[in-house]
Amino acid sequence: MRIPRLAALGAVVTIVLAACTPGSSATSSASAGGSTGGTADCTVAVSWNNYQEERWALRDEPNIKAALEEVGAQYISADAGSSEEQQATDIENLLSQGADVLIILAQNTETILPSVQAAVDQGVPVIGYDRLIESEDALYVSFDNVRVGEMQAEAVLEQVSEGNFVIIKGNGADANSDFLRQGYVNAGVPAEGESSDTITIVGETYTDNWDPALAQTEMEQFLTENDNNVDAVLSENDGMAGGVVAALEAQGLAGQVPVSGQDGDIAALNRVALGTQTVDVWKDARELGRAAGEAAAQLCGNPDIAAVADTTTFDSPGGNTLTSILLDPIAITQDNLDVVLDADWITPEDLCQGVEAGSVAACP
Amino acid sequence: MSEISTPARMSPLDRLRGALSRVSQAATAGIRVADIDTRLLGMLVALVIIWVGFNIVSGGAFLTARNLWNLSVQSASIAIMATGMVLVIVSRNIDLSVGSLLGFLGYTMAMIQIFWIPDGLGVGLEQPYTWILTVLAGLLLGAVVGGLQGFVTAYGGVPSFIVTLGGLLVWRGLIFSYADGQTLAPMDSTYRLLGGGPTGSIGEWPSWIVGIIGCVVILLSLWFSRRRKRRYGFPMRPIWAEAALAIVLCGAVLGAVWVSNAYPWPANLAAQYAEDHGITPPPGGLIIPTGIAIPVLIMIVVTIVMSYIATRRRFGRNVFAMGGNPEAARLGGINTRRTLMLVFGLMGVLCAVSAAIQTARLNAAVTGLGVQNELDVISAAVIGGTSFSGGIGSIPGAVLGAVVMQSLRSGMLLLHVEAPTQDIVVGIVLVAAVGLDALLRRRRG
Repeated sequence: MRIPRLAALGAVVTIVLAACTPGSSATSSASAGGSTGGTADCTVAVSWNNYQEERWALRDEPNIKAALEEVGAQYISADAGSSEEQQATDIENLLSQGADVLIILAQNTETILPSVQAAVDQGVPVIGYDRLIESEDALYVSFDNVRVGEMQAEAVLEQVSEGNFVIIKGNGADANSDFLRQGYVNAGVPAEGESSDTITIVGETYTDNWDPALAQTEMEQFLTENDNNVDAVLSENDGMAGGVVAALEAQGLAGQVPVSGQDGDIAALNRVALGTQTVDVWKDARELGRAAGEAAAQLCGNPDIAAVADTTTFDSPGGNTLTSILLDPIAITQDNLDVVLDADWITPEDLCQGVEAGSVAACP
Repeated sequence: MSEISTPARMSPLDRLRGALSRVSQAATAGIRVADIDTRLLGMLVALVIIWVGFNIVSGGAFLTARNLWNLSVQSASIAIMATGMVLVIVSRNIDLSVGSLLGFLGYTMAMIQIFWIPDGLGVGLEQPYTWILTVLAGLLLGAVVGGLQGFVTAYGGVPSFIVTLGGLLVWRGLIFSYADGQTLAPMDSTYRLLGGGPTGSIGEWPSWIVGIIGCVVILLSLWFSRRRKRRYGFPMRPIWAEAALAIVLCGAVLGAVWVSNAYPWPANLAAQYAEDHGITPPPGGLIIPTGIAIPVLIMIVVTIVMSYIATRRRFGRNVFAMGGNPEAARLGGINTRRTLMLVFGLMGVLCAVSAAIQTARLNAAVTGLGVQNELDVISAAVIGGTSFSGGIGSIPGAVLGAVVMQSLRSGMLLLHVEAPTQDIVVGIVLVAAVGLDALLRRRRG
């Protein structure tokens, strides 16, 4: 039995090695930017909540690093693997490694607070990156998620301004789901459980883990229940929009019922070109990384978050007034697909796959 | 007769109680004489109660041809994996990696048809053979990866809980080594038929033919089983029970076919079809019966094949023998290690089948594909009567278990129950079903 056991061990080693193969090297697309007030031998630490998701390594991190390199600041990081406890430990470690500025992508907007307090007590300024941290001591750098919701609803309402609406929301425990929903209300869509003279909400649900397959099942049930009398779908992100469009396709309704999304997924931008998805609100994560990196560089010189350039205030759901840098997202529809092409976000081949030549301006 | 002659002296409650006990006694006796699997029957009754209950509460929206058709497609992928999980649990093991493995295999199959065949071979997208090459590669990879986990468990002596817990992390992580975990879409148009939808269904007459074949198979298997029992002198069912069983089973099969045909193609697709084929639609539109969806057909075939393997082949009996008493099985000359490795290999193949169905249905491969499916699959197997103490389990039971779970989910969606509440209900039902089963088993001795 010795040989099979050795072989088993070998198999395990093979798996581990395979898992350790690097996926791809991230490319940096830094442009010259004017950051002021940086000092050398400043260490900026980033605590990621879940580095395994593709965008952080590919889009965000290289731009944070690029902004820091320009002022000669050092970059260190840790990944919490989606665990609140691990993130608290990570932050302790980063502080003891001598971090001068802390950038946190929070796993949980509430449980992160003791860690933020610990950093502030040591005189280390904190940047809440992408996700909200309910503390007035942290600088909030994010896209305006309420605005994302407004843009989704505006683009859909432009196509269909009345009738039966279905709303597919993301994870119920994620504050972004409700920010987006707030944006729908701002744009004139009734709140949950209400209806207006023109719009009836015939189906609304949260979706665990923003799961596209689950969104498809949800959409199938809403279509079944309403005998296909659905005039528009507000889906909070692109993955779920994919599930919604698959359900609509099975009923021959794809392209006739407007569908929203966000994130700039390749497949979703292709759907916009095909006409089966109405709008994809695009948040260029590279700009967000850039903005956070530049803010961190400024904090190296002066740890007062109020002194950072170009900040506004943001009234959080928790009743705090946060100093923030809020970037504006861009709504991508068939009319402005050239924006994502020009930004090298997507190749023309991917964007125009299966699109009839000349049916949209971006696919000649 | 005496109860009937003295109704005035009994309270209504007593009368009801008496009637119930007589009905239940008669039913118990009938079931015993007819030699029917009581557990399976109990699950069918529970399913009927759930369906009728949802139908009443939703105002008749549940028991429609369209919703039942949806339900069949939505259950297929979990049901297929559950048939394999039965053998895994029967052999006193567990496979926690099925959700991640499904995601990995689905993502690999998407890479094959979107990049490797079109670009790698330089033949372009949408070749007629793309789907079959993709599926074959997926099945092969599933067998290899599943077999690898089985190998480490059986020959490496690492408990399957640990091996597959590792697998859960590794296979999900490997997805990110492809294309940075982007969403891959769209799929090959022929491959997409595996996911169902009106175009991915076999239509009216093929469905009836499948139904009739099913009936013939049921009749033959009842007859053969009766002949076998007579030959070995085992007690046989009375002929009335045999006839009733045949009528009920055939009726159920043909009824299911009738329901699938009662769901017509959506008006828009039918109009498109009429236009493409130069048909002038009659007033009220063209009615095309949908028939059985391809993933459901796959599920039926998998169920039959797996039942056959589990109960009629030596391999299946070895698995049950191992689960019942591993030491005795080994001393009895069963190569338990090889058998165990094959069980996990089979589980991997079934994961590949479900992965093809899920990616085809979604028309995309996403990094979150199959997340938490292991919980649904294990639940389906356990609700279907598979015992964690090993040696006991039923393949048709697991399929029914998957349908019960999906019925609860779909029904609650129809009633607009929010996701967290759905989880609570499903969790309670899971524990209650297994608890009830254990109670009944103890009482029966």
